[in-house]
Amino acid sequence: MTATGAAAERPLPAVPSVPARRGRPPGLLTGMSLAVAALLLSPLVFLLIEASGAGVGTIAHLIWRPLTASLLWNTVRLTVVVTALCAVIGTLTAWCVECTDLPGRRLWAVLVVVPFAIPDFVISFGWSSIFTWVQGFQGAVLVMTLGVYPLVHLPVAASLRSADPGLEDTARSLGLGRFRAFLRVTVGQARGAILGGCVLVALVILAEYGAFEILGYQTFTTEIFTEFQVSFNVPTASALSLVLVVLGGVILAGELPARGRGRAQRTGALAQRVPRRHRLGQATLPVEAALLLLVALALGVPVGASVYWMLESGAPTLTGVSILAAGVYTALYSAAAAAVATLLAVPVALLAVRHVSRGGRLLERSTYLVLAMPGLVIALALSYFAERYAGGFAYQTSALLIAAYAILFFPLALVGVRASVAHAPVALEEAARSLGRPAPEVFWRVTLPLVGPGLAASFCLVFLACATELTATLVLVPTGVQTLATQFWAYQQNLAYGQAAPFALVIMAIAAVPSYVLARYFDRLPGRSAAT
Amino acid sequence: MSDTRDGLTVTDLHKAFGSHAVLKGVDLTVPEGAFAAVLGASGSGKTTLLRILAGFERPDRGVVAVGGAILDDDHHHLSAERRRVGYVSQEGSLFPHLTVAGNVGFGLRRGRSREVVVAHLLELVGLAGLARRYPHQLSGGQQQRVALARALAVRPRIVLLDEPFASLDAGLRASVRADVQSVVRRSGATAVLVTHDQEEALSLADMVAVIRDGVIAQVAGPRDLYDAPVDPELAGFVGEANLIEGTSDGASAETRFGRLALRDGHAPAGSPVTLLVRPEQLRVRLVEEAAPGVAARVVETGFHGHDAVVRVVTEGEPPVPLLARVLGDVRLEPGARVMVWVDGPVHSWPRRPSG
Repeated sequence: MTATGAAAERPLPAVPSVPARRGRPPGLLTGMSLAVAALLLSPLVFLLIEASGAGVGTIAHLIWRPLTASLLWNTVRLTVVVTALCAVIGTLTAWCVECTDLPGRRLWAVLVVVPFAIPDFVISFGWSSIFTWVQGFQGAVLVMTLGVYPLVHLPVAASLRSADPGLEDTARSLGLGRFRAFLRVTVGQARGAILGGCVLVALVILAEYGAFEILGYQTFTTEIFTEFQVSFNVPTASALSLVLVVLGGVILAGELPARGRGRAQRTGALAQRVPRRHRLGQATLPVEAALLLLVALALGVPVGASVYWMLESGAPTLTGVSILAAGVYTALYSAAAAAVATLLAVPVALLAVRHVSRGGRLLERSTYLVLAMPGLVIALALSYFAERYAGGFAYQTSALLIAAYAILFFPLALVGVRASVAHAPVALEEAARSLGRPAPEVFWRVTLPLVGPGLAASFCLVFLACATELTATLVLVPTGVQTLATQFWAYQQNLAYGQAAPFALVIMAIAAVPSYVLARYFDRLPGRSAAT
Repeated sequence: MSDTRDGLTVTDLHKAFGSHAVLKGVDLTVPEGAFAAVLGASGSGKTTLLRILAGFERPDRGVVAVGGAILDDDHHHLSAERRRVGYVSQEGSLFPHLTVAGNVGFGLRRGRSREVVVAHLLELVGLAGLARRYPHQLSGGQQQRVALARALAVRPRIVLLDEPFASLDAGLRASVRADVQSVVRRSGATAVLVTHDQEEALSLADMVAVIRDGVIAQVAGPRDLYDAPVDPELAGFVGEANLIEGTSDGASAETRFGRLALRDGHAPAGSPVTLLVRPEQLRVRLVEEAAPGVAARVVETGFHGHDAVVRVVTEGEPPVPLLARVLGDVRLEPGARVMVWVDGPVHSWPRRPSG
């Protein structure tokens, strides 16, 4: 009697009423995830081994010279200017599409995203082949801004869409005016998304090679490529790569304080209301014109230029055959890499979604370090590894190229796989098992149908990203093989614009698909359906 | 050990997550065909108990048996799919990619008989016309009925219901509760309902097990649990409780409210006791009506239509706050002087030494 009395006076332990499955995650899952993380971070390790092989003194000497300073200046000023422009343009387009009564906004929602999918080297080719003044710093600012502003648009649009319109009402009831309520509540909620988009923009600029090569603008990446591919100066290339990875790490770290804070929140799962749309009124026409101009510059110029050069050069006879051959290789490599990347993402996503723990979160985060490694650096590290440890055997083999793709686009795969794993909560598998169905059947009849579409979408995204990749492909593509991107590049370098143009058009056609998939995917998220 | 007529037998069940012990020796027996409720506050371990019964978690120690067959002991653990224990979760957990008929028939073999069983069950839960719908086209209450039909389709030995009404709105809850209860009863399955809602437990179940801090504090029929809880804390958990002090003289006790008859005259004469007076056992009348009892003043009146809850404080020293439930037509304004007395026998516990 006294014992129960004492128990009743003790406060109840604070255990959440719906546990996310406590306890230790299975060892197999943890082991597989660790192996994936190790694979992903291996390029970094190789790079460090390579650099230390050259000697600390040599590396330091290679870094401390005027060339590094000028590369740093070129890279940083471009990054700052383009990121700022993208932040403004991406936020404005997102707001126009999500928060206003703009006519045709569903079409705009797709059109403004498409430029993201077109490789920057193709946009660059389109502009510089027509307008000779598009070169150097100003050319780089123009081309990169047009190519990557959707990286801000996409997360901001998603954040605005999921923001609770009730919060803006609450702010207005607390005495804020219409505009201030919008600024402080809606934009305030999207702050994390804007920052996240800016980080991605900066990382893309660090990694870009093709566009800058065409424009004659020198950054770390172009210089590393020249040192490695043209001068065969491996120590300099690896020294500069180290600086580049550190820059990437700094940018990636910039997002950390904002993570977990300021996420768009809805209060109450059932509180889905029709989002309030701001009336544009007289501003409608200027806004439509501005969006039209943006799409014309980002989409119309590259497409138009390619069509122009193709018609200009008449009907090239051999192009059809070489496109087919290059297309087959591109498809093979991309499909293999997409399958590998998607499979690698499954254990990490399962660990992160189903077994919420500090270690799992750390492991998932560590895989995002890949974002700080440009494709060129990954390719260099893997080729060094092949030469050093595989006796040169694996260098320029399909396996190495596929591995580089899989590592490079792992974060892309993880985003999709993570979302699709979240679509199949453990509770459903438990329900199926309590109905007497054995585990393999449960996987086949419940888990796979729920997760499958998301996995397929991930596969497609990685496939298309690989198909339009240039930098790592140039380094690692097997001798005698041409992919769409490398063949385009070869013609473009020889100023054979007429022969390069069909490749550019094919690449753009392929690239348009994922942006459509992406836009459709975001379309199905809650909030949008209520708006129609 | 366990009788075959026992639907469910749980013996000395222990479970800890890391260093946090959640179940600390749970013992529970539910007769076959009974509708039992496990009542507990959040964090009391009730959901963990249910997840162990379903086979989703393995106990650290203890035995789970159904109809005499061992499901869990120190050496064996029958996996969830081989237990024939049905489970209806809080959210229903319907498969979003399957229709209502697909959900209900999920655990059955393909064939003609499946369609017959599905149709019969949908009839039983009153959703005969909705077989082709998808879960997102159903209301919350309909989803719960489908989840129940799905669990019953495989003819489980026990059905576990994990707060299945918690996510429904108040208007819907009462009707879904009544339907679920009648469907489960007609199916003949042994049912275990987990809930934190004492009203739900008392109104639905044949027997209620109160789980507190990882152990079963009391198992009793709803009436007995309400009238004779094992200790004052439990009395407060299963309903509103006025605790009055008195001195026992065997079959009755001397209190400020006079001599009150005891339900169970176990306390030795002369020993101090704590008495449980439920609000509906208190009678309240205005002083002017010349009623017997103790003088008190009304502090607050909560009007509920059919009845009203009146908070009063006695006038003597020390002042004692009391809660009374009176019929709705009695008008008692705050500040009114009233007489309060106790009607009928009361439950008693030996008084604990203070401190």
